[in-house]
Amino acid sequence: MPDSPPPERIPLTGADCFLRAFDAEVRRTAGASHLSQLVLRLGPGFDTGALAKLLSEVVEAQPILRAPIRRPYLVGPPEFRLDLARRAPMPALIVHDAPGAAGVDAPLAPIFAQQLNATFYGWAGHLLRCHVVRHDGGRAGTDVAFTWLHMLFDGAGSERFVRWLDEVGRGACTARALPEEAASPAPRAGAQARGEQAMRWRARMRSFAARPPRSLAGPLVRTQQRLDYELTTFNAEETARIGERARKLAGFLTPMLFYLAAAMRAHHAVFQLRGADPRSFVVPLPVNLRAKGGQGELFQTRISLLWFQALGEHCGDLEGLLGELKAQRLAAIKDGLVEAGAAAMDFARWLPQRAYARMARRPFGGELCSFFFAYTDEFLPGMKSFLSAPIRNAFHAPSVPPSPGSSAIFSLREGRLNFTHVRQVGVFGAAELARFHARLRADLLGDPG
Amino acid sequence: MQWTRDALVERVYSILRYELLGAGDDFTPRSNLIEAGLDSLAVTQLLLSIEESTGVWIDESQLTEETLASAESLAACVHARLAAA
Repeated sequence: MPDSPPPERIPLTGADCFLRAFDAEVRRTAGASHLSQLVLRLGPGFDTGALAKLLSEVVEAQPILRAPIRRPYLVGPPEFRLDLARRAPMPALIVHDAPGAAGVDAPLAPIFAQQLNATFYGWAGHLLRCHVVRHDGGRAGTDVAFTWLHMLFDGAGSERFVRWLDEVGRGACTARALPEEAASPAPRAGAQARGEQAMRWRARMRSFAARPPRSLAGPLVRTQQRLDYELTTFNAEETARIGERARKLAGFLTPMLFYLAAAMRAHHAVFQLRGADPRSFVVPLPVNLRAKGGQGELFQTRISLLWFQALGEHCGDLEGLLGELKAQRLAAIKDGLVEAGAAAMDFARWLPQRAYARMARRPFGGELCSFFFAYTDEFLPGMKSFLSAPIRNAFHAPSVPPSPGSSAIFSLREGRLNFTHVRQVGVFGAAELARFHARLRADLLGDPG
Repeated sequence: MQWTRDALVERVYSILRYELLGAGDDFTPRSNLIEAGLDSLAVTQLLLSIEESTGVWIDESQLTEETLASAESLAACVHARLAAA
């Protein structure tokens, strides 16, 4: 593991700037930040004091964890200002005590979901916060939630961070040594080629505008962000059945399309219940851009977005919808739209934040997309414990702006599927939520809906 | 062009090592591809490159964990498809 001093400034990636623009928009229109969260549900034996000490140690050694994000005075994309990090406060670690027993299926403390409505001030280096909920003083287990401003990590990076944190805690490496990055990252195309890629991406986005999407929340309005989330953990037998169906219907390499199709149909079922026409479903699928094979690149968001559009009539049956999504995925990769999306986000780094957000919503009449979606596969594969406490379950809960107001996140943990539904309170009525879950469950398990 | 099995192994290995995985010297035609970091995006890009080289499209649904065990096993799959075409 290399051990070198960090640079003084790190430019934001294109995806960082994309998320920073949403952060600014959500703060302005909804009074919250654009955050993401990772939750570890741990068994007995967790030492909260050791985590507090460890966090101090790694934040001292890795100043990006509290580096103010600022735009340079003259010209250039915003940067993590590591040179100003020492003036920023240390990330908070807040401990709560709960009487009940923790377990894989025990209810989560509401404080975790409430965190998604907090405001983090990136310009001041307020990037990360940790909440610990001890059940029966930790004897019955402990839940740990890391919440961060979405530019600090993406989903894959946050899992790498937790794994590395555990390695530092066990003394397997020092806090100054980050895991190794892949040997040779893919070379970047030249400026002209990237310009052409960005234009291709723009054309693709405009092609969606003929049938623009509608979210269940409706177009952007000024409303206080009030997110809540619900975790559904499928048992081992159900997860095995779901996995088998995903492999059979979508292929063992692209199970994410199976989950995306199921999530689209669940949202479609709610539109049907309302008697409303969704026009189309437009959903971005995050794609990891890291060079393959490395374990490094913990920090910043390193993703592109692959966009899918399905018309209401595509949602009639799961297999038909899957066929449509598979064809779109192949065509998009063939057209280089993964690289094109990254190039477009790179160019947009130079734009003022408001122009960026306006540009993103304009083609869709004020909608960003139909809903947020991610499938992150196995969560921390092979990692059995965190700071000596067994990991009973683990999942992601990224925030979603009040519009589209719904986010569907799937991941696996040791043979059990987790589905996190993050939603703006009030977007789903009780009957709509029941319909949503019934449709999703039926599609995942292959039961009649 | 007539593709022999050895030529296909070389081509698949070369695409994987130099274009998609950026792997080091320890990556061989027998290395496990999933362990080397091959993901679904890289597989699709690999299949597109193979199609460009050989003119044969291997549908992703025909791939299994066994096919993707190594560059050698993947090349064997491509060779079988070429022979059948």
